[in-house]
Amino acid sequence: MEKAIALKNFSYQYPDGTKALSNINLSVEHHRRVALIGPNGAGKSTLLLAVPGFIKGDGQIFVDGIHVRKKNLKKIRSIIASCFENPEDQLFMPTLFDDVAFGPLNLGLSPEQVKKRVEDTLKKVGLSNMADKAPHHLSAGQKRAAAIATVLSMEPKIITLDEPDGNLDPRNRKNLTNLLMELTQTLIIATCNMDFAAEIAQRAILVDKGQIIADDDTEKIMKNSSLMNEHGLEVPKKFI
Amino acid sequence: MHHSYIDKFSYQNSIIHRLDSRVKVITVLIYTAMVISLPKTYLTVLTCYLVGPFALLVLGKIPLKFAFKQVLLVSPFILVLALSSPFYDRASLTVPFGPITWQISRGWLRCCVILAKFVITMLALIALVSTTRFSALLHGLQKMGVPKILVIQLGFLYRYIFLFIDKVQHILQARAARKMRNLGFKKETKVAAAMLGSLLIKSINAAENVSIAMQARGFDGHFRTLTKSKIKANDIIFALVAVSLMIFLHFIIRPVMT
Amino acid sequence: MHMANELLSVPVAAGTLGIAAAGLGLICRKARTIVTSDKLALMGILGAFIFAAQMVNFQLPAMPGTSGHMVGAVLLAIILGPNLGAIVISSVVIIQCLIFQDGGLLALGCNIINMALVPSYLGYFIYKSITNARSYTPLRFYIGAALASVISIEAGAALVPIEAALSGVLVVPFSTFLITMLGVHLLIGTIEGIITVAVLGYIKQVRPDILAEIIPGKIRLTKKTVLTTFLILAVIIAAGFSLLASDLPDGLEWAYAQRPDQPDFSPAVENKNPKINAVDEFQAKYSPMPDYSTRTAPIGQTLQQQKELAAGWTSFAGVIGSLLTMAFIYIFAWGLKKTKRQEELNSN
Repeated sequence: MEKAIALKNFSYQYPDGTKALSNINLSVEHHRRVALIGPNGAGKSTLLLAVPGFIKGDGQIFVDGIHVRKKNLKKIRSIIASCFENPEDQLFMPTLFDDVAFGPLNLGLSPEQVKKRVEDTLKKVGLSNMADKAPHHLSAGQKRAAAIATVLSMEPKIITLDEPDGNLDPRNRKNLTNLLMELTQTLIIATCNMDFAAEIAQRAILVDKGQIIADDDTEKIMKNSSLMNEHGLEVPKKFI
Repeated sequence: MHHSYIDKFSYQNSIIHRLDSRVKVITVLIYTAMVISLPKTYLTVLTCYLVGPFALLVLGKIPLKFAFKQVLLVSPFILVLALSSPFYDRASLTVPFGPITWQISRGWLRCCVILAKFVITMLALIALVSTTRFSALLHGLQKMGVPKILVIQLGFLYRYIFLFIDKVQHILQARAARKMRNLGFKKETKVAAAMLGSLLIKSINAAENVSIAMQARGFDGHFRTLTKSKIKANDIIFALVAVSLMIFLHFIIRPVMT
Repeated sequence: MHMANELLSVPVAAGTLGIAAAGLGLICRKARTIVTSDKLALMGILGAFIFAAQMVNFQLPAMPGTSGHMVGAVLLAIILGPNLGAIVISSVVIIQCLIFQDGGLLALGCNIINMALVPSYLGYFIYKSITNARSYTPLRFYIGAALASVISIEAGAALVPIEAALSGVLVVPFSTFLITMLGVHLLIGTIEGIITVAVLGYIKQVRPDILAEIIPGKIRLTKKTVLTTFLILAVIIAAGFSLLASDLPDGLEWAYAQRPDQPDFSPAVENKNPKINAVDEFQAKYSPMPDYSTRTAPIGQTLQQQKELAAGWTSFAGVIGSLLTMAFIYIFAWGLKKTKRQEELNSN
């Protein structure tokens, strides 16, 4: 079976010449939950942008066995869906319904199918009664759930999430954790909250200064306190 | 930060809220035109025209206090214009009104008429927008032939203005917190330019992110939405009632009272 | 400078709505070919930015207690080009009407023309004709952007009294209104010019990549450039005002001459221009505004007086009737709410 994602010798530098990612080799199996951990500015977000082909670097990337390049982009984006850091950027339509319907409509589904998908997805994230609301009427937790709903409704095989726990209070973070644990898709989650990562991910990939430092079971990496401290992270409560 | 958002009432549910947005837009537009076309010195007939927006507001469960506050908020420009008319038109008029007779200058009468018209047309507009969700209004506009690119722009604007209003308020608070005295024009301009410039850069960055988020969900330049609006029996009944009210006002009340 | 419903007659409102709709339709059609998907998001968010930017006020010079804010049409036209800029500003004007009730629904056409279409295109044209890519200098850029802001805002402002005069609803003399509008907006426009340049300058400094293609050179605000611009502005404005002043008392009063709704107005000058007469006639014919025809006749005859008194009673009845109707509607709605609540209580 094809890997969900595979990067081979991938490097990327910003237009001004600063190196953002260097020589990344990485593969993720289907149906796994992987945490990308690392300090701010380590290159986590850049990596998540590179996988679905939003930025172009050197080396090769495969998503579900398909080479990421211009002519495959449409196909790739129906397989992998990205949920970005700021829900305000993710929710750009006047109502939640329109926002969740945006992806399925672009996939070319019929109006009935789209409607059903939107209803199912909103039910899954617990926002059924908010379908007609405008995003500015939602709370921070609801916005986050809504942002995830917008990608879930596309029924992708792989979902990337950039700091999904940012700006959430403990209860909302708990709800988010429950929601993510229910998903069967491959999840790639970038976060600098170690407790959150330890809760969700089976595997952790430590990234710093654009390089992969460690890649192993979550527990193994996170229990290594000297490694964690060296890269500005902390051992989660779960493993102390 | 919590807001009492201006569009909060459009999410209520009432007979008026459930009407199709197109029917409401067209009704309010025609009604506004009728009010505007009324003679400039007849104040009393305007009371009859107040019935329409009043009915919409009350049946739409919009608090009248909110509606009138809204009118007051947007009135300064028209207030200046209306109040200037007494200075230019001092001809005296005798206005009989039932048991009483008033002596009033035509300028003042005109001033009152302008203000009354303003209140009525604004109430009609407020009734329209506070009983219609903006998204439904956009669907209606698109069905009425408004270019799609403009509808998309309006959608984006509605989505992001509240966010930006928050941002600006934060910036203004930060400025107020640090500014202890009047800085003089040059410095003030520089501060304002830096505030606006950084806000503009932030917006451009946000736009890049939104654009990526759109592409991530398969956006290819064709903006697709599901339109749900359909004219129902209720809409036709409303239209009939509105038309008969307008006919009554225009052909019976207006000739009799003016 | 939002136009109000009350300053327009129905034909003028309909005409301007038609012109605005046709203009916007044309621009949107044209824009369809130049809008890429990433421009779409940029336009939307810049619209929200302009909306918010209008909330940032700052102290005006020499006038304590007053503050100004930016309008943004020229800034957008420079960043996005006139077509996309006009669409964005139009959508801002529409949102201001539909959500915040700034300007009436009937006046929307005028507002789109005055505040979006005219400033975007006129501003861009002035800016471009002063700063073309071949002979670009910071001074030219500064003068171009500032002049574009001032002139485009003045043009939009001047349209307000013209539209009102065409409608024949002005009580204030046209010339007074025009001069007031121009005077106030001269200040607003000047501020706009300074802010537009200052904002572009700030971006050029912090994120030069954004404006790399649009403004090739550097932007430097020096005392010399500011003074030169003001000098040029002053000359243009002085010339404009002196032209206006010589013309105003009579020449522009045509809008007032022989208005059907102003029977007791003795026109200072009769306008022989057939076009204008045609417009007047058109208005007299189609304006649904018969206005006070017999009622302003001096009171004195008993017959007339009786008529007046009778009319007074009809008005009285109309007002009372309307008030009763509204009270009825209110009670009806209140009752509806009550029964519904009762039902809910019962069902629980």
